[in-house]
Amino acid sequence: MNKLTSLEEFRVFRRRVLSEKDITYEKPTLVICAGTGGQASGANDLIRIMKRYILKNSLQEKVAIKITGCHGICELNPFILVQPGRHLYPNLKMEDVPKVIESAIGNYVEESLIYKDPFMKKHYHRLNDIPFIKRQTRTILGYNEHIDPIRIFTYFEQGGYAAAEKVFSDPRPEWIIGEVKKSGIRGRGGAGFPTGQKWELAASIKTDSGQKYIICNADEGDPGAYMDRSLLEGNPHAIIEGMLIAGIAIGATKGIVYVRSEYPLAIKHTLIAIRQARDIGLLGKNIMGTGIDFDIEVFRGAGAFVCGEESALIKSLMGMMGEPRQRPPYPIQKGVWGHPTCINNVETLANIHVIIDRGGEEFAKVGVPGNTGTKIFSLVGKIKNTGLVEVPLGTKIGEVVYNIGGGAIGDAKIKAVQTGGPSGGCIPASMFDMSIDYDSLAKAGSIMGSGGMIVMDDNTCIVDVARYFMAFLKDESCGKCFTCRKGTQRMYEILDDISKGKATLEDLDLLEELALVVKDTTMCGLGQSASNPVLSAIRYFREEFERHIVDKKCDAFVCKDLVGAPCQAACPVGTEAWRYVAHISRGEYEEAYMVIREANPFPSVCARVCHHPCEKHCKAGATGGDSIAIRSLKRFVTDRIDPSSYKPKHSIWADGEPPRVAIIGAGPAGLTTAHYLSLKGYKVTVFEAEKEPGGMLFCAIPSYRLPKEVIKKEINSLLDENITLKCNTTLGRDITLDQLFEEGYGAVLVALGAHKSKPLQLENEDIEGVIPSIKFLKACNLEGEQLARGRVGVIGGGNSAIDAARMALRQKDVKEVTILYRRTRKEMPAFEEEITAAEQEGIKIETLVSPARVISADGHIMALECLRNELGEVDSSGRRRPVPIKSSEFQVELDTLIVAIGEDSGVDAVAPARMSQIETTKWNTIKVDEATMLTNRPGVFACGDVVRGPNTVIDAIADGKKVAVMIDRYIRGKALKQQGTPILPQIYIEPADTASDDAGTAARVELQRAPAEWRKRNFAEVEVSLSVDEARAEARRCLRCDLEFTRHKKEAVEDILAGVKVP
Amino acid sequence: MITMKMNGVDIQVEEGTTLLEAARFMGFPIPTLCYNEALSPYGACRLCVVEIGEGERSRLVSSCTYPATEGLKVRTASKRVMRARKVILELLLASCPQSKVIQDLASKFEVRQQRFKQEYEDCILCGLCVRMCEEQMQAKAIGFRGRGENRSIGTPFDIKTDVCRLCGGCIYICPACQLRCTYTEPEKAICGGCANISAPCLEKEKFDDMMCYMDPCVACEIIKDKRG
Repeated sequence: MNKLTSLEEFRVFRRRVLSEKDITYEKPTLVICAGTGGQASGANDLIRIMKRYILKNSLQEKVAIKITGCHGICELNPFILVQPGRHLYPNLKMEDVPKVIESAIGNYVEESLIYKDPFMKKHYHRLNDIPFIKRQTRTILGYNEHIDPIRIFTYFEQGGYAAAEKVFSDPRPEWIIGEVKKSGIRGRGGAGFPTGQKWELAASIKTDSGQKYIICNADEGDPGAYMDRSLLEGNPHAIIEGMLIAGIAIGATKGIVYVRSEYPLAIKHTLIAIRQARDIGLLGKNIMGTGIDFDIEVFRGAGAFVCGEESALIKSLMGMMGEPRQRPPYPIQKGVWGHPTCINNVETLANIHVIIDRGGEEFAKVGVPGNTGTKIFSLVGKIKNTGLVEVPLGTKIGEVVYNIGGGAIGDAKIKAVQTGGPSGGCIPASMFDMSIDYDSLAKAGSIMGSGGMIVMDDNTCIVDVARYFMAFLKDESCGKCFTCRKGTQRMYEILDDISKGKATLEDLDLLEELALVVKDTTMCGLGQSASNPVLSAIRYFREEFERHIVDKKCDAFVCKDLVGAPCQAACPVGTEAWRYVAHISRGEYEEAYMVIREANPFPSVCARVCHHPCEKHCKAGATGGDSIAIRSLKRFVTDRIDPSSYKPKHSIWADGEPPRVAIIGAGPAGLTTAHYLSLKGYKVTVFEAEKEPGGMLFCAIPSYRLPKEVIKKEINSLLDENITLKCNTTLGRDITLDQLFEEGYGAVLVALGAHKSKPLQLENEDIEGVIPSIKFLKACNLEGEQLARGRVGVIGGGNSAIDAARMALRQKDVKEVTILYRRTRKEMPAFEEEITAAEQEGIKIETLVSPARVISADGHIMALECLRNELGEVDSSGRRRPVPIKSSEFQVELDTLIVAIGEDSGVDAVAPARMSQIETTKWNTIKVDEATMLTNRPGVFACGDVVRGPNTVIDAIADGKKVAVMIDRYIRGKALKQQGTPILPQIYIEPADTASDDAGTAARVELQRAPAEWRKRNFAEVEVSLSVDEARAEARRCLRCDLEFTRHKKEAVEDILAGVKVP
Repeated sequence: MITMKMNGVDIQVEEGTTLLEAARFMGFPIPTLCYNEALSPYGACRLCVVEIGEGERSRLVSSCTYPATEGLKVRTASKRVMRARKVILELLLASCPQSKVIQDLASKFEVRQQRFKQEYEDCILCGLCVRMCEEQMQAKAIGFRGRGENRSIGTPFDIKTDVCRLCGGCIYICPACQLRCTYTEPEKAICGGCANISAPCLEKEKFDDMMCYMDPCVACEIIKDKRG
C-alpha cells in the first residue's frame, strides 16, 4: 500500500476507489458472515468448501467471495447472502453450499434453501423484504454487510473516510463539535450524555502538558449485549475514523481502544485495521502533511465488568486495580495519568462519520426530539428472531418485540423485556406501547444501557431473573464501597431465600429498603444501578414475589426448591405423578392407584378428559424429547383397579352433632367438596338441578370420550352415609340460600358451573336449526335427543366445538360436519388430541373464517354467509388479530348450525345468586376472594366454573379440595388464610431396574384409538387403554425428577442399616 | 475562598477542603469509619454520605472525598441521609458485630438490631490499614486483592513480606480490631463489654507474628483456660 503524503493525494485516491467500486456487484458475490457468531455456527467450514468448490471448478471469474463481520441476523447463521439480488440462504449445511454457488452463477433463486418465514410459509427472495430486516433502519449496522474488516479498501468503497477528508480539509474544532451538537447524539454506552457537550467540555480544557486522550470504551460487559463486538469485528475503520475526528475536535493526539479480552476477534480486527490505517498514512505523526498527530493503541481489559465504568477503566489503563473513584474531578478534567480524557462508546464513535458526512441536521431528522439517531439493540431471549436490531430511537417496544422479533416462540405469552442488562430493569408487556428512548426508559425504572433487550415469557421466573442479575453484580462489584459490596451480597441472599421459599414478607420490604439505600449511597454507576433489576421487578411483578413468599409457589416452574417435581407442581390437585409412574414402572399397580386416588377423587374421569398440565411441564418433554404420557398411564391403572379398593379414613366429629354443609351443584367441584368434607366428619347435602349428578361431566362431555357408566361408578364410590344427594332441585326455584341457613346449615357452597353458551350476536340467530352448543350437547347426553341434521356447521375452536362436531357426526341424520374457526388451526384452544381425532373422523376444519350472516328460508337456516380472514397485527394477547378481507363473502349451505364460541354461567343461572345478594361480575361469574373463596355474603362460598368461567375438570376438582379446607376452617372458627409450604417429593421409591431389559426407545408411546371409520358411527369409547408392556416401557422413560429430593432419604436408610450415625 | 451553604448556613472555606472537613469545622456531626485525619480519604465505608444539590438532582456523596465547590448546597442530616446511615449501620452490624467502634456508632444512631443473616467477619475492608502502611509507615506491605466477595487485604500472593516491619500500625488503626467487643452474643450487645470469646487474630496463622496491641485483651488467658 502506498502511503498518502498529502491531502490532495487522499482526495484523488478516494474518488478513484469510489469510481472503480463494484457498486452493482457485477460479478455475483457470496457474502458470508464470519463474525464470532458466524464462526461459532460453522461459517469457517462453509468458507473452506466455497473456496474448494470454486477452485476445483475454476469458477474464479464467475463468482467472488466476500467475508464480512456480523450482520446481526445471528439466528440464521451460517448463511450466505448472494449479491446482487440480496438472496439470503440461512442455516446452511455443508452439503448445501454447491447449490448456492450454482444459483449465484446461474442468476436464479434456489427455492429449497432460500429464507422462509416459518410462520407464514412465505419464501422471501430479497433480504429487504424479510420483516426482520425490513422494519429496521440499519444506518450503522448496514455497513457490515459490505465490508471485509481486514481489507481497508472495502471501507473506502462504502464511502469510508469521507468524513475524515472533510475534517482534515478544515480541522477547526468549532464546526466539528457544532455538527455533533446539532446532531443531538447522546452517548450510546448507556448514560446518554450528549456527546457534543462532552466534546465541547473536553476541547475547552487547557492543560500545561497539552496532552489529551480519547478513549473508545469497548469493554462491553453486559451479558447478552454484543453490539460493540459486532461493530469492532465488522467495521473497525468506522471507529478509527470516529476517534480520529474526535481527536482533532478535542485536541487529543492519542487514542486508546480499551477492549475486553473476551473479544479476541474484535481485538484482532482492530489491530489489523489500525495497522492498515497507519500504512496508508491516516494515523501517525504529521498525517498527510497536515501537522496533525494522532495514533491509536489497543489496550486489553482483564475480565472485570466494573472496568466499563469510566474511572475504573482509567485506573485499569494505568495498570492498577479497576476501582472507580469519586467524581469530581471528572475524567475530562483529570483522566489517564492526570491528563484530560474523553471516553466514548464504540457505537457513539461509529455514528460520528455518518454525522460529519451527512451533517448534524440531517442526522437529527431520525428519532424523536432529545433522542436522535438510531440505536442498535441485541434482541435475545424467548423470541422468534434473535439478533442485532437497529431502529430509530422513539420506536415502540412492541414494534421491536412483535413485528421485528416475530413474537413469542411456542405457546407461552411474552411477559416482559429486560433493557439495559444487569443495570437496567424490566418493562412488562402491558407497557410495550412505550417508546424506546433514554427518558421514557428511565421514568419506567429501567435504563437504555448498552442496548441489550432480553425477552421473557411466562416460563421465565422474574424472581429468578432478579436473582441472576444480582448474582452477576455481586461477583462483578469491585468491592471498594461497603454498601455496594455488602449490599449486593445481602440482596442476593434475600433473593435466593425467596426463590427457595425461605423468606417472609418482611424480607421483601427489607429488600426494597436495602435496594434504595444501595442506589443512593454507592460511588459508581455499578452500585447505583445494581438495584434497578430488583426494584423494577418488585414494582411490576410484586405478586410473583408474594406468590413465592406466601404461597411458596413458582408459577414459571423455575425455582427448583419450590417446584419439586414439575409434574406434581403443575397438577392443580398436586397429584404425585412421579410417584405413581414410578410404581407402574415397578409393576406395583395397586400402590399406583392409591397414590392417584389420594389426591384426586375422580381418577377414572380425569384419566380420560384431563388436559394434563403435568405433561406440559414434564422435564422429559421440556428439553426436546417427548413428555411422559402420564394421562394414558393413569388410564392404564384406573382401568385395572376398582375404586372401592380405596378406603379413605373418615374422622368422627369430636363434640356433639356434626355440622351440616349445603352444596349447590353436583358437578366435579361440588362433589369433590362433599367428599372431603365427609372425610372430615361433616354432614353434607348436595342439591342438583338436573336429574343426574356429574355437572358438565355428564351433560356436556360426550360419552365416546367419557362413558356414562364410568362417571356413575366413580360418583357412587364417593357418596357415603354423610352425603345426601337431592336431584331435580334448582336454586331460586326450589331452595334459597336464606332457607338453607334457616334450616341450620353452617355454610353453603355455590358450585353452579357454566352452562350457558355465548351467543354469536348475529341476525337471525334464534331461528330453527341454529343451536347453542350446550343445549345441543345436553339434549343428546341427558335426553338422548339428536338435534343435528344433514350438513352441520360448528362455529368455534374450543373443546365444546370439537365435542359438538364429533357428537353431531355420530347422529343418524347427519351427512357431513364442518368446523368454522376465525383464527388458524394452530391457535385453536381445543386439546390437540381432540382436534386430531376429529380430523381422523373426517370432520372438515375451515380456518380463518368468520360468520357474517345467517341466511334463512321459512324460519329455518339455509346457509351461513362467511368472510375470510387474514392475520393482521399482534394484539394485546400477543396473538395476531384476524382481520376480515373485504369482499371475500362466501356462503356455506347448512341444515344445522351449532354455535360453540364459549360458555358462561349465563344471566339466568347467576340470577338466583344475585337475588341472594351475592356479588357477581360483569362476565356473569360469582365474585369471590381468591384466597378464601368466600363470596361477599358470610358463610357462602363459591368455586369452580361459576367463579372462573368455563374451565377444566381438574381445576374444578382442585377448587373443591381447596374450598373444603376453607369451609372446615370457617366452621371451626380458624383463620382462613394460612401460609403455604413448598410441596416437594417426600417418599423415596427405588428406580426400576432398567439395566437388564431393553430400555426401549426414547419415543413416547402412541395413544391408541378405535379406528376412525368404525368409531364415527357410534358413541362407544374412542380411546383404548395401553397394554402392560406399553405402560411399563412408558413409565420407565420417566426421568425421576423426584429422586433429587428424596435420594438422601435412601442414603439415610442405608446408613442406618450400615450402622453409620445419621445426623 | 469558596462560599457554600451547609444545613442552611452560609460558610466560607478554602479551596481544596472536603465537605467532611468543612462540616467538622462547623461542628456538624458526621460519622465516619474509614476516615482518619492523618491519612488520605478513601470513601469506602459510605457512612459519611451527605446530600448535595436540590430537588430531583439531589444525590448522596461521601463527604470525605467530595471537594467544596462554589454555591454548593449541602445537608448533613436530611431524612435520606439518616435512613442511609441506619441501613449502613445494620449492614455493618450484620458483618462485624464484635467491633465496639461499630457498636458505639450503631447505638448512637439508635440502631438496635439488624435484619440480615449474621456473619462474623474481622475485616470491613475500610482500607485504613493499607493507607496507614503506605502513607504513614511508608512500607506498602499490604494491599487489596480480589474483587467483590473475594476482596481481602494481605501481602502480595500471601507471601511473607520483607517490607513489613511488624510495627503494628495496621492493628492500631483497625476499627474492627479496636476495642473488640467481648460479649458472648455481640450482635445483641450493642455496647455491653464483658467476657471474652476469643481473639480471632490469634486463630489465624497469618497474624501469627504480629504483636498484639489490644488493651486490655484477656483472650489468650481465656483460651488457655478453655484448652485446659
